[in-house]
Amino acid sequence: MTRFIEDDLRATFISIADVLIPAYENLPVASEVDVGGPILDRILSLRDDIRDSFFRGLRAAAGKSPDVAARELNEQDPTALATIGLVAAAAYYMDPRVKQLIGYPGQARYEIDPAAQPDYLLDNILQPVIDRGPIYRPTPK
Amino acid sequence: MAGNTSKIADVLIIGSGASGLIAAKHLTTAGFDVVCLEQGQPVDHGKFWGDKPEFELMTQKLWHPNPNVRDLESDYPIDTTESDVPILMYSGVGGTTILYGAHWQRFMPSDFRVKTLDGVGEDWPISYEDLEPYYDEMDLEIGVSGLGGDTAFPPGKAPPLPPLPLGKMGRKAADGMNKLGWHWWPAPNSIASRAYNGRNACALRGTCRNGCVEGAKASFDLTHLPIAMKHGLRLITGARVREVLVNEQGLATGAVYVDRSGRERRQLARTVMVCCNGVGTPRLLLNSRSSRFPDGLANSSGLVGRNLMLHPYSTVIGHFEECLDSWMGPAGQPIQSMQFYETDENRGFVRGAKWHVLPGGGPLGGPPAPGRPFDEAWGAAFHRNRDRVFGRSFEWGIMAEDLPEESNRVVLHPTLTDSDGVPAAKILYNYSENTKRISAFHLARAKEAMEASGASSVTVRGLMTDRSMHNTGASLMATGHLMGTCRMGNDASRSVVNQWGQAHDVPNLYIFDGSVFVTGAGFNPTGTIAAIALRAVKHFIANRRDQEVAA
Repeated sequence: MTRFIEDDLRATFISIADVLIPAYENLPVASEVDVGGPILDRILSLRDDIRDSFFRGLRAAAGKSPDVAARELNEQDPTALATIGLVAAAAYYMDPRVKQLIGYPGQARYEIDPAAQPDYLLDNILQPVIDRGPIYRPTPK
Repeated sequence: MAGNTSKIADVLIIGSGASGLIAAKHLTTAGFDVVCLEQGQPVDHGKFWGDKPEFELMTQKLWHPNPNVRDLESDYPIDTTESDVPILMYSGVGGTTILYGAHWQRFMPSDFRVKTLDGVGEDWPISYEDLEPYYDEMDLEIGVSGLGGDTAFPPGKAPPLPPLPLGKMGRKAADGMNKLGWHWWPAPNSIASRAYNGRNACALRGTCRNGCVEGAKASFDLTHLPIAMKHGLRLITGARVREVLVNEQGLATGAVYVDRSGRERRQLARTVMVCCNGVGTPRLLLNSRSSRFPDGLANSSGLVGRNLMLHPYSTVIGHFEECLDSWMGPAGQPIQSMQFYETDENRGFVRGAKWHVLPGGGPLGGPPAPGRPFDEAWGAAFHRNRDRVFGRSFEWGIMAEDLPEESNRVVLHPTLTDSDGVPAAKILYNYSENTKRISAFHLARAKEAMEASGASSVTVRGLMTDRSMHNTGASLMATGHLMGTCRMGNDASRSVVNQWGQAHDVPNLYIFDGSVFVTGAGFNPTGTIAAIALRAVKHFIANRRDQEVAA
């Protein structure tokens, strides 16, 4: 895959991503699922519209402590920080381990069972609505 | 100098969305020679992202419903800096049905008699009963899933397919409504719950509004285009229409369009049908100025572009302790409510809103907005926010009926153009006091409904007010319902077309899209756009011998 980002800026991204998405309960820190690896290049290849603000933010952050850099960006260039955050979060949530840990199967297929009893019939839940009768105003004569 | 396309068509249709392809199907089937000009391209459904991990990332740009966000060559820019509401639409074969939510609604009888019943707006020249047979026929043409007997509507035929599952979300919402004694019903969707006429059954992916990868949603490139093509439709894509042509007798003779090589071409026709939506149609007519029609075509009433209605949207999101699998579809709508739809003057406003349940989407969802306080958005808060929302939240969407006001309108932009140099549209739109009151009342009731359902917390999102957010992901708080800008009526001084979509000023010019709505009701409009188009095109076909055409 084409590499869309130089090593030094990639390192800057990873360090900021770890500030934005730290370890939490049983969930890993961003770098642990390689958000700065090939998935980063794929995201940048798919979303050329975000590259400008993404790289602008990373260049501004280069050489600073990642926590300080992230907070400064949020004040001084919030669009850039939001873009870096979007890329980090997108990479994080596409990771199979993270998906499993948060209980997300993706926008998966679910077969509708045509033989199953429809859920609007369960517990007679529609009956009260039917019992109250029509609620519309008819066409006036 | 524009080059002619050789053959004069019986009918030229401009726009290949729902109404254009309904007209195309029925005209070609009846033996008419039809050309359809479409500024966009055919959509390869294999390029939708709904079955891929990158789905959420890609919906935020390439398949976003806001043309200003997508910014494709086939999109025309829309200036909404003087509008309270952003504009959503899609340019391509199938039109906005490619990305619509497929809430397939009928209007209620009172919607056609707003003036008589509530003293506001205007009455339609047609009634619910006039449209009912065409609603029924469209249900069959596209395969609607739903449940007959909804107490919010007159008795009638049930949709051909059973409703989509309520799911955990729909059940949870219904439980709350039952506790309050409020109306709800399994919602109608133009999404096949069973395989239907070549379409697959819905797989509940929840990706409907960014392109259905299952081929279950009734986008009109699937439902109507193939039949029209089989019967000889000549579909020309990448054809951006610059103006509708008229002769010295004031009859339409065709249109000038720009092809993808940048060449101006003419397509001549005996009758012209404009189906470009509630923004595109007035834009085209206003761009079609001539010495005979100096204010734009079919605009002797001065109403072309006026009375724009957009269904201002607000929402209440409930967050629950238990997982509701709320990334699942339909999206689409599992249930709806018209409890507060009809006018009750004790509420301090007239008319009302439809409610519908929508799923919460995936974990990426709406990432933190730029500038949100750092410690509320990132770090541990990033995880806490997800845990509170993801899989455990759904919304009651509230679609307010905005009444027609002449000051809400589509005009031509003085400087902005599309990529072919055709003047773009500018939207002038302000919320009315009545709309604000509808929204405030309904938000309060929907919050009660969420609490009755057991929500542990509730997020209320009122009407969008920050115009600087229009061209961002926040524009998803708009509906993309574009109505009223060439309304129908019996009085040529107070309307643009008659009840058959025929322009009062140009007898062989027709408009079949949401522009012709007299009022907007509080329902998703495509079902009614389709029924009106079907009724009108059938009338046109039945009366073909009486149709005045250019020689």
